[in-house]
Amino acid sequence: MSNIMPLIRNETIKMVKKKRLYIIFIVLAILVPMFTYAQMKSAENNRDKFGGDWRLELQQAITDNQNSLGSDRVPEEYKKYRTVYIQQMQYYLENDINPKEPGGVTFTREFMNNAVGLFIPLLIMAIASDLVSGERTTGTIKMLLTRPVKRWKVLLSKLITLIMFVSIIVVSAYIICYGISGAVFGYKGFNMPIFTGFKVVGTDVDMSAVHAVDQWLYMLMQAGLIWFVSVIVAMLAFMVSVLVRSTAASIVIMMAALIAGTILTSMAASWQSAKYLFMVNLELPDYLSGGLPPIEGMNLGFSLIVLSVWGVASLIVSFLVFTKRDILN
Amino acid sequence: MSGDVMMKKKISLDSSPWIWRTVSTVSILATLLLLFGFGYAIKDVIFPEGDSALSTGQETTAPTNNIENETAVVEDGKIRMAVIGDSLARGTGDDEGLGFVRRAGNLLKDKGYDVQVLNNLGVNGLRTDALLEKLDEQGVRYVLQQSNFILLSIGANDLFQGGQVLQGEDPPTAEQLAAALPETSKRLQEILKKVKEINPNAQIAYIGLYNPFGDVKELEKPGNAVVAAWNDAALAILNNEDKMTLVPTFDLFENHLGSISLQIISIPMDKVMSRLQFELHRNSRRIHLQKGAENKWQSSSMIPSCLYSI
Repeated sequence: MSNIMPLIRNETIKMVKKKRLYIIFIVLAILVPMFTYAQMKSAENNRDKFGGDWRLELQQAITDNQNSLGSDRVPEEYKKYRTVYIQQMQYYLENDINPKEPGGVTFTREFMNNAVGLFIPLLIMAIASDLVSGERTTGTIKMLLTRPVKRWKVLLSKLITLIMFVSIIVVSAYIICYGISGAVFGYKGFNMPIFTGFKVVGTDVDMSAVHAVDQWLYMLMQAGLIWFVSVIVAMLAFMVSVLVRSTAASIVIMMAALIAGTILTSMAASWQSAKYLFMVNLELPDYLSGGLPPIEGMNLGFSLIVLSVWGVASLIVSFLVFTKRDILN
Repeated sequence: MSGDVMMKKKISLDSSPWIWRTVSTVSILATLLLLFGFGYAIKDVIFPEGDSALSTGQETTAPTNNIENETAVVEDGKIRMAVIGDSLARGTGDDEGLGFVRRAGNLLKDKGYDVQVLNNLGVNGLRTDALLEKLDEQGVRYVLQQSNFILLSIGANDLFQGGQVLQGEDPPTAEQLAAALPETSKRLQEILKKVKEINPNAQIAYIGLYNPFGDVKELEKPGNAVVAAWNDAALAILNNEDKMTLVPTFDLFENHLGSISLQIISIPMDKVMSRLQFELHRNSRRIHLQKGAENKWQSSSMIPSCLYSI
């Protein structure tokens, strides 16, 4: 262990000096204003329609969803989602709390909720996918491995560095998002209550465990879950970067898996065993807000176990391959 | 020149310990924070503790507290319309998706009134019993309290079993139609009472029924009979209350149904609209409407197709 710290330090400095890392922040700094603008426009639109009264707006949303329940054209799974949504929104109305109280904090929460399935993993992949394969492309891996350090230590130092940066990326995504959207929507809203603890039983929502938490605490929980998802995605991308020689190929492989996940999540309801795929389990924050899981029988515990198994398996593969394979050619 | 490069190299080398210290501290702090959040989330989702102070039903009156200014709502001369009820209220089948509430709103706007359509709370296939329950929902109550002109359309799905005859089932007999009448009209009375309780200051207009089966031969007569009886019953209820009116539609359709296919039943929308407007105008002394608006019946072109119920 004594000689692993210098390795981590070395990897950290390499990471900081790579331009790729800054691309992540630049992408965030460009995309967040776009979403902020879109959100602002839709808020303006609703203000025109409902005179800025969120209760009228929410009640209309409830009624619209109730109408779609009676329609034959709406698939059964969507109806389930809407039934759950209606019950939750009615709960917010009964307790006189605006679930979408505009503000930088709420925007950040919503943005991160939507980002966890694809956007955040994409940012993670940007640094994870070339950790090993990048060094093979440039040939610098030879320099690393000819040193008198065990191979697994080299790989472990890379993994630890990666996880360190995953934490930094998740936290900075929040900060950038809050900083930019707050300039438009205001920086307040940390103490707004958010309901959590909705239990979905069939098409009914069990409200007995519902409780309000302050939005900052809710976001802390959300961030923790996003971080866990990101770590797993990082481990998978890490494995791919060990297995595949080219960085481009490793990014494509991970992207394909993630996009397949978003498609599957929206249509997998009838394919039960899809729930064991990692990409169907990425939307962990939905368990906080009480959304219906993509496939019946999934819950937070299940998703955490599935993701952990994938994470551990990918680590085992990475280390086995990296220590056994002839990498120097 | 070469000295400059040397300097730069030296600086960037010197910055390494600084980078390492900052990055490692920041990332350790971030990781700890995120780990805490992760642990808390697991605890909160898997072992949630309900908050007994929160309402699970209708006990809260929170939204109602904020809205004690209904009189002001009426006095500023602005018409705030809301519609509640079945698919007719919703506007299902209306080619432009406006429904009669938006059409009425637009017509009134054209006449120079200050109109805002607050909400369309029509739900397809709604029956009187479901509407009674709906009137207990906080959101619905809030909408009704915010409006000063409430349109109501209900009863058709009770009387005609959701228009099942349109789906190929046996048409209801005259006895069946008549059997549903007493109970349904009792519920209509409760509904009107409740709406009035929720907002005593608003003008309430109940949209009367027409016979949707006027073009089905064996149903024309029993249908007409039950609709007429229903409208009579509704009128009896409404006559006893002030600020409530029945907007008759029965006569508007009598001679127009046959021309359209069985499924799509046309409503001469403009006529319904101007009738609504007429009713509104009659009460205009209550709601300060603009003077001089003439309640001419617009007998212009028919705006067809409003799918009946379902």
